Amino acid sequence: MGMDRREFIKWCSLLAVGSMLGGCRKLPFVGDAAKKDLPSLKMFEAEVRRAMSKPSHRMELVRVPMPGRLKTPGASLENRFGMAIDLDACDGCGKCILACIQENNIPLVTEDEAAKGRFMHWIEMRGGVPFMCAHCGNAPCERACPTGAANHTPDGLSAMMYKRCTGSRYCGANCPEHARKFNFNDAVQQGLSLKFNDKVPVRSKGVMEKCSLCLHRLQDDRLEVKTAGGVWRGRGVNTACAEACPKKAIVFGNWLDPDSPLVKVARRRDLYAPADLAGFDPSIVYMMGGK
Amino acid sequence: MVRILFIVFLCLLAPGLVSMGYSLWQGPAAWSVDSGVFWGMPISLFVFWIGLAHAGTLISAIFLVLDVKMERRTSILAELATLCALVVAVIFPLMHLGVIQNFYMVAPYMESRGSMANVCSPLVWDFCCILAYGLLSVVYLVVHVLADKSAVAASIHRPLAWLLFPMVLWVHTIVSLDFAATFVPAWRGAFFPIYFIVGAVFSGLAMVNIMLCAEGYRMRQLEKLMLVGSWFLGAFLLWDFALKGNLSVTVLVFAVLLPQLMFVSAVRESTLGRVLISSSIIVGLLLERVFLVFPSGVMGFGWVDLGLICFGFGLFGVIFLVARLKLSRVIEGEEVLMGEVEETVPKRPATGRFSYFAPLTTPEFRMLRFPLLLGIIACTLFLVWVVGCLEENGIAFSDANLVPLTCPIITTVAGIVLCLRPLVMHIGKVGGAVMVALAALLGVLAGMVYGGVTSVPSGAVVSSTGDMLDVGTLPDSTSTLDSVAIIRTKAVFEARCAGCHGADGRLNEKFVREYYPVPQNLDVSRMDALGEDSLVNVILNGRTNMNPYAGRISPQMARGLVRYMRLLAETPAVDNAATQNEGGDE
Repeated sequence: MGMDRREFIKWCSLLAVGSMLGGCRKLPFVGDAAKKDLPSLKMFEAEVRRAMSKPSHRMELVRVPMPGRLKTPGASLENRFGMAIDLDACDGCGKCILACIQENNIPLVTEDEAAKGRFMHWIEMRGGVPFMCAHCGNAPCERACPTGAANHTPDGLSAMMYKRCTGSRYCGANCPEHARKFNFNDAVQQGLSLKFNDKVPVRSKGVMEKCSLCLHRLQDDRLEVKTAGGVWRGRGVNTACAEACPKKAIVFGNWLDPDSPLVKVARRRDLYAPADLAGFDPSIVYMMGGK
Repeated sequence: MVRILFIVFLCLLAPGLVSMGYSLWQGPAAWSVDSGVFWGMPISLFVFWIGLAHAGTLISAIFLVLDVKMERRTSILAELATLCALVVAVIFPLMHLGVIQNFYMVAPYMESRGSMANVCSPLVWDFCCILAYGLLSVVYLVVHVLADKSAVAASIHRPLAWLLFPMVLWVHTIVSLDFAATFVPAWRGAFFPIYFIVGAVFSGLAMVNIMLCAEGYRMRQLEKLMLVGSWFLGAFLLWDFALKGNLSVTVLVFAVLLPQLMFVSAVRESTLGRVLISSSIIVGLLLERVFLVFPSGVMGFGWVDLGLICFGFGLFGVIFLVARLKLSRVIEGEEVLMGEVEETVPKRPATGRFSYFAPLTTPEFRMLRFPLLLGIIACTLFLVWVVGCLEENGIAFSDANLVPLTCPIITTVAGIVLCLRPLVMHIGKVGGAVMVALAALLGVLAGMVYGGVTSVPSGAVVSSTGDMLDVGTLPDSTSTLDSVAIIRTKAVFEARCAGCHGADGRLNEKFVREYYPVPQNLDVSRMDALGEDSLVNVILNGRTNMNPYAGRISPQMARGLVRYMRLLAETPAVDNAATQNEGGDE
């Protein structure tokens, strides 16, 4: 090649200047160009239908005892929040999924992702059974998280600190039921996100998320009680999915509070959990039979 | 020959760079992962390259320690390859992250910088081990290169090899624990560490054999060892099959069956044959790692994945060739030039190392005693500190979780001390004192970076009773807030605002610094400039990093909070030392 050093440097600097000039243009970059109008609620409904129409296997359920006090150090002696889902009542209508989306600002996914089954929904139907993170008392995801972003609150919630997450996805790999969702897209930039609820932050690209058991509702109530002074048992709080369920099949409550609706209902029923989670002391269980 | 290879590697690197750039821009969505398989190609490639990175140290350090005679040019070549492979290997876990700029949170700073890494996570172990291994590999190569010229370097060569010996095995054990410590059925198995080490050494040997072919000579020993490696791998594959019932035939063919062709002398004697067999081993082991990371089958294997593979090979080739050419003087040294001899015979005379030493009296051990002691002390101090942090924060852990961190810390400290000691002795007493002083200064600086200079907890939050600001001593302000309202507002402020803004209104730095940008510093003049109405509006509707509180706090309460914050701003700052003591008591 007949190119000496001088010429090589000349071409390189021309190239650099050219690309820098390209960067100065007023037109938006590719990423911004994809910015669309805010999505409508209809699009979210359509996505829920699409996710539910995907074939899925029914989870293998095994009997579990009623969740009790957490064994981790520093755990609350008064509260351990959880849910029980009545499979005799549930008809798999999927209203809980939409309610959850609206409560927690869960974004849409692109067409490409949807085809791969990478929906962001915190609740999904597994063979007609609603499944969300079970908030295991001895959670495998938290053990694997390198930065401590996945952590347990004293009240038995498996919480996520989005700002601390570095997106190693180790938690997702370690969850036997794959309850965790990864933000593959910058949903706000791509116009996939709609902020239904001001109280819940929209997650940024590259972090993990999952069911928070409507942490913001619990926190709000806790602070209310804390301000007034008194023992907080989380009475009167309900999750969005439980509120939305037309059959009242999802019951939220405090496993350690004998007056909680959850304990009252679950006491008379047989409790089940997905077989591969049963060993991790899940807080969210299924009810069948009994009465 | 070199020029052709260089062009080949550049051709690999160019598309590799494109797909690497695309992956960085697009994030993990770029390569094939889905909601079930969260790890993808980068992790396969990480395990693969870190495996290759073991060959050099194995061949050089372990053979040196075990008195296996080996030519210098072979071992230095292998060490160089180790470093290059390590550079490639560390890129992959970094680019695999969703939020790459947060990677430092994986370092076990504990609570000193506000980000508490989870020392029970294998990724944290991994981070420490690879850092230590990279550092020691560089030191080892430098010492090896210098060993010919200076007696000092030669004297620490073997002790350093003894340090690296367990480290090599440790690092790959930890890499295997990334998988074996999870709950994915396909990844579980107590044999994983040995399985990984065998795979790593095996692929590393294949790589070194390819290099020797390129250099134009061969080493029978390494070929035999490679063959033995294939039997071991075959045994592990069968074991895995017996245990879990999954067997990938391609891996078996490429990495176990094809290498048996080495028994055919026509294949063994031709350079092409050796290159092909070694390449087939590399391909087989790469496939093995891919199948391992995708237990439920590879989905949507795309051009980005292929590009990443190209990137690995291309980058390795380019770095290695450049380093090899730049260092050719050093590598070849006074010995014969590469490629001139057909069969290698250990030429150095035996140095009487076979004489008997009573246990714990060997010269290596005498040299290593002191550095090892320092390493163990440093490690113990670190572990005590870690356990203290964990206990204080009520984090569940088992002592076994901390064991993986011991080896890298001990080895790093011991390795550095080992290399510094002759250096200090060499430059005499005054120079030594200066060096120690410099090292101490550096240590203090490093400690400040590590510990964080400004991480004074805003003690305010620590005192849960909140009696730092006595309501009675507040300036008379009945015009704005009566005393009952103050108590109510104070309760709301402490429940909802103090988490970030601090109970004294002067930011809870400890919390805020690592998670959010620091909130506005609201002193009196600033608050007056902004005006009450606009601050009420911020509380209710939120601003950049401030969450909206409309619906949770009434507008009247928001107004009260603004006035309360102004009161706080008017009161002089609380003595920090006093609050810290208060915090310590709890």
